[in-house]
Parts: sequence; C-alpha cells; structure tokens
Amino acid sequence: MLPFIFRRLLQFVPTFLLGTVLIFAIVQLAPGDFTDILRENPLIKPEQRQLLIERYGLDKPVVTQYFSWLARFVQGDLGTSFAENRPVWEVIAPRVGNSMILVLLSTLITYLVAIPLGVFSALRPYSFPDRVFSILTYFGLGIPSFFFMLLVMYGMVKLKQNFGWNVPISGKSSGDFTGWRYALDVFIFALPPSIVIALRAISSESRFIRGQMLEVMGQDYIRTAKAKGLGMNNMVYKHAFRNAVVPLVAGIGGLLPGVISGAGFVEVTYSWPGLTPKLLEVLTTKDLYIFVSVTALSVLLYIVGNIISDILLGMVDPRIRYN
Amino acid sequence: MSQAASPPQITKGRRRSSKDSQSLWQVVWSQFLRHPLARFGMWILGIFFTVSFLGQFIAPYGLNEYSTEVRVPWTPPSKIHWTDEKGSLSRPFLYPLKRQVNNETFRDEYVEDKTQKTYIEFFHHRPESSYRFLGVIPTDLHLFGVQEPTKIYLMGSDDLGRDWFSRLLYGSQISLSLGVIAALLTIGLGMVMGGIAGYFGGWIDTLIMRLVEVLSSIPGVFLLLTIRAIFPNDINPVLIFYIITGILAVIGWGGIARVVRSQILSAKEQDYVQAARALGANDPRIIGQHLLPNTASFIIVAGSLLIPGYILEESALSFIGVGITEPYASWGNMLSLAYSGGFETIDNRAWVLIPGVLITVVVLAWQFVGDGLRDAFDPRRRT
Repeated sequence: MLPFIFRRLLQFVPTFLLGTVLIFAIVQLAPGDFTDILRENPLIKPEQRQLLIERYGLDKPVVTQYFSWLARFVQGDLGTSFAENRPVWEVIAPRVGNSMILVLLSTLITYLVAIPLGVFSALRPYSFPDRVFSILTYFGLGIPSFFFMLLVMYGMVKLKQNFGWNVPISGKSSGDFTGWRYALDVFIFALPPSIVIALRAISSESRFIRGQMLEVMGQDYIRTAKAKGLGMNNMVYKHAFRNAVVPLVAGIGGLLPGVISGAGFVEVTYSWPGLTPKLLEVLTTKDLYIFVSVTALSVLLYIVGNIISDILLGMVDPRIRYN
Repeated sequence: MSQAASPPQITKGRRRSSKDSQSLWQVVWSQFLRHPLARFGMWILGIFFTVSFLGQFIAPYGLNEYSTEVRVPWTPPSKIHWTDEKGSLSRPFLYPLKRQVNNETFRDEYVEDKTQKTYIEFFHHRPESSYRFLGVIPTDLHLFGVQEPTKIYLMGSDDLGRDWFSRLLYGSQISLSLGVIAALLTIGLGMVMGGIAGYFGGWIDTLIMRLVEVLSSIPGVFLLLTIRAIFPNDINPVLIFYIITGILAVIGWGGIARVVRSQILSAKEQDYVQAARALGANDPRIIGQHLLPNTASFIIVAGSLLIPGYILEESALSFIGVGITEPYASWGNMLSLAYSGGFETIDNRAWVLIPGVLITVVVLAWQFVGDGLRDAFDPRRRT
C-alpha cells in the first residue's frame, strides 16, 4: 500500500507544479500589482512605494518570484499578505476553518438524508413518494444556491418577527461566549447555510444512490438471494447497498478540495466568514500570495483527495487490488 | 431468340418491412418526444427563447430608462383596469401614480391619480426607446405602451424607477444566450483537444490530459475569480459579457475533452478508420469527418447538461457583482437588488424575487431536456 501511495504522489507532482505555475501566471497577467492602489494616495511618496516593491520582491522577474515562492511554500511558508502585512497562513487559517465547519456539517446532513432517501426511492420505484422526491430533487438541482439562501434568510427573518424565536440571520455567532456555549452558538449559526449547501448535494446524491441501487437490485445474484428466501432487510442492506455505494465511497475523497473552497456563494450571501468572501476582497487588492497559496493548497488537497479515493475504492471493492 | 423473361409481377405498392429503418436522429427524436418531462422542458425553453428574442419589442421601455426629475423608486405593479366607472367592460386603462406620504405610516406610497385616464395602446410607437430589430432594422414599435407621463409597470420598478418587466426581458437575452454560447465554445474546444489527444496519443495525449487534470484540480470558483481579476474591475460592461463567456468555456472544456478522447480511443482501431487511411485521407480529415461525428451523441448530451450549469454560474457571478454589471441587466444582477435592499425589500417588493424564479425555471427546463436527450440516445432505454 505504501509504495502505491508514494507512486501516486509522484505522479501528481507535475500536476501540482503545473497548477501553481498556471495560477501564478494568471495572477501576474493582471496589469499592475498591489502597489497600484497606493499610487493613487498622494500621501505616499514614490520612494516608499519603491521600498515596498523591493521588499516584496515585486520588481524581480516573474520566474524568480515563482521559484522563491515555491521554495518557501514547500517549507510551509505561504508568503505574506500585502494588504494586511501578515503571513498568509494567519490570514486564511481561520477562514479555512470556518469553511471547513460548513463543509463538514453539510456533508454530514447530506449523507444522513440522501442515503435513506435514495434507498427508499429505489425500493419503491415510481411510487407516489418516489415521484414526489424526484420532483423535489429536480428543484434542488435547479434552484440557484444563493437564491435559495436568500429565501431561507427571508424565512428566518419572518420567523423571528412573527414568533420571536432567536434565529440566526447571518454571520458566525451572536456574541462572546466561550467553550460549550460558543460551540453550540456557532453550530446553530452554521445550520442554515449548511442545509442550503446540503440541498443541492442531497438532490444529486440521492438520485445517484437510487440509480445505483436500482441497477444492483436488477442483478442476478440479488434475484438468487430472493429466490432462496433471504429477507428483504438483510438483502437490501447487506448485499445490494454495499455494492451500490462503492462509487459513493470512492467519491468521498473528492470532497476534500471542497473543504477549502466551501460553497462560495452561499457563504457570501449569508456573510459567513469563510474563504470565498475573503477571496472576493482580495480580488481588488491583487494580493498575489493569498491567491497563489490558497490555490496551491487546494491543488494539494485535490491530490490527497484523489489518493484517498483510490485507497477507499481498493478497500471497498474486492475486485481492485493495488500492489 | 427467346425474349428475356418478363419480370415477375410485383404487387402494387412497395413491399415494406414491418418498420422502415430510421436514421439515428429520427429514433432519438421520437424517443425524446415520449418523455413528458422533456417535452415540457422543450416547450418552456421555446417560449422563453421566443419571448427573449422579441424582447425589445415586447418590453414597453428601454434597458436603462429612468428619470431624475420625476423619481419613482420602487413603484408597485400597475393596476390595470378593465371596467370603467360605470362597471362595463372597456379598453384596458390605468392611472398615473402620484407619490405622497401616508398619513398613518409616514412612508411614501403611490396613489392613483384618477383624473387622468390613460388607455393602453397596443403596437405603440415610442420614440424614446427605439431600437434595432435583429440589430439591423431601426424601429420604435412596441407591443404595448402608454402615453407619458403615465408609466406602465407590469412588475413594478426598481430603486431607480426602471421598469422591472422590461429589464427582465433584456436580462433574459443575456442570461439565456450566455449559457448557450459558452456551452458551444466549450464543446468546440473540448472536441478539438479531445480529438487531438485521442487520435495522436503519445506525449500530446499526456500533455493535454495533464492540462485537464490541472484545470480540474483548481476549484472552479477560484479559477473564475482569479481569471476575472485579470481584468480591471470597472471594465466596459459589454466586454464583460464576452469575458465571462470565455472564462466559463476555458474552465469547462476538460470534461468534454475527456469524453471525446475516450470515444476516439475506442473508435480509432476500427476498420473504417484504417480504410480511410488506406484511401489516403489525412489526419485532420479522419478526425473531423469520421471520428468526431461518432461522438456526436455524447457531446450533445454533455453539452445540454453544461448549459444549466453555466446559467447558474453566470447568475451567481453577477449576483456577487463580478459578472454582468450595470447598466446591463442579467437575472443574477437583478437578484442582487433583493440582497442589498434588505429584507423589507422582499416583504414590500416581492417582485425582486422574480429573476430567481425565472432562473430556476430555465435551469429546470434545460435539465429536463438534457435528461430526455440522454435517455433518448441510450439504446437500452428504447420504448
């Protein structure tokens, strides 16, 4: 197993390098740089601007900048944010953590709902509940996530006005709590955006599970088991379900990059302090290292996620063996 | 010499087999039509595209018409009266609105000024919002309208006093077309790259597939925002349309390329390709005339499922302000008014949510059509 992982990692090294080069090139393509904003400001003298430029190495050729960034990145230094004059890691770490909260919560909700829903729909295909769920999943896939978030927020406001409940409207938490109360508070605030994110995932996953289950249930070995008198529960959960979710398990690794990117537009709408709102801010200031380092991180996570998917697939599917 | 035997008598009318053999497209079409959802989706799309095409004619006002002297922000939808004072049916008419402060709530409200009755005119000429039909024929004919100073707001107005209904129509032109154009670009790019990769193999194949992998390893939102950041924030709004289309296409071609490549890899070794080569066809000809048309079914299905995704992405970008900007309208753009106006907006001015509903309907319709096409092309699902 270990040599396999090592080999896969090596295969991904060119991808990582190419990806970071691409992002670096794209960001450098933007005319001007961070100090442009300062140019407008009459209080800042040109010499001070020049000092800044030299300090951040913006006057060196692009290739040199890339390699010096790369050298520092592999040692764990993600660079310095121009706008805030802090290490990039300090700037984005809390944001990444926040996005991760949303992603983990929404993934939990997704699988808790989608799996029973998919299995139920597969066991009673084309029945009335199945059709109702089908329509709901179509809506879940069709509605824009930010629009749905808007409607949910509106619904919460209405709830608050009419019933006086203390419902979260936006942001991460409502005050200074510590310890358990803080965790509970953040959890309640994280619920609305997580549910909205989960909706789209539930729609696609439950349809996928339903399709997989239907395909598996049509197989001969299931028919044999039924003919031999195996009970429904046993058959479904022990045999059909395990085979149907093989691709699902393999797909879990794909969620890892999502941890960083979160569900951007929902975060922006709900004012949840995740990564995407930060990126939007950074758009205007052309804070080079934030862009590049964050993207490099997510490429890394994509690679790791891919490898995890392969390992999980190998574990779950006995037909696949890596040696 | 004996005469040639006369041909045996053939019964009148051609002998037909029990079913005339149909071409692939005929089969697909008839299968598609058997899908009620797909038919429904097609009708919806047909209506939307037709209305959008005639948008400048159907809209009573232009894209960005508001007056700074007579400010009418947030006008409610106009009440159209069908019966006059005596209670009998008459031509539809409405009254101009006056702004006044409500004595109880101390807020602005709009009251009808019943002294001036203005009839709605159909096929009304309105020189202030003249346009070029199909971009060529200058005209100022509109489906309906009213004489100034009355204004007809079928769906109310926004904070500047612009007619929401007109902006919805203009927005539909952008929102609907952008998805389709971006999808076509993506398909084109994907076909070319996938075709080259699959056909030539070797290092070209590896290079292109690496590129696809790199593009898919960077989260979509990041790439979108990063590429968008290349261009200055306050760029000419018309250019933004093309830029967004281009960005969407450049990010999305990977999926199509992969599908095309695998199709070509499996088709490459078939006999007809060898025969073509033996007859002297050069490589582009083989790729373009033989291999790529065989991938058509997959491409059509994949493409039709791309479009709703692109519509959603464009509206999301416009919603947060980095997509289509003022003064042009796009449905995502218009929805951001609901967000920035606060929740009182949704209470009192529910019409700001209409663009979101429209986006959902169009995306749903495309998904129905895409699913229908996928089932129609699937040989295992023939009914």
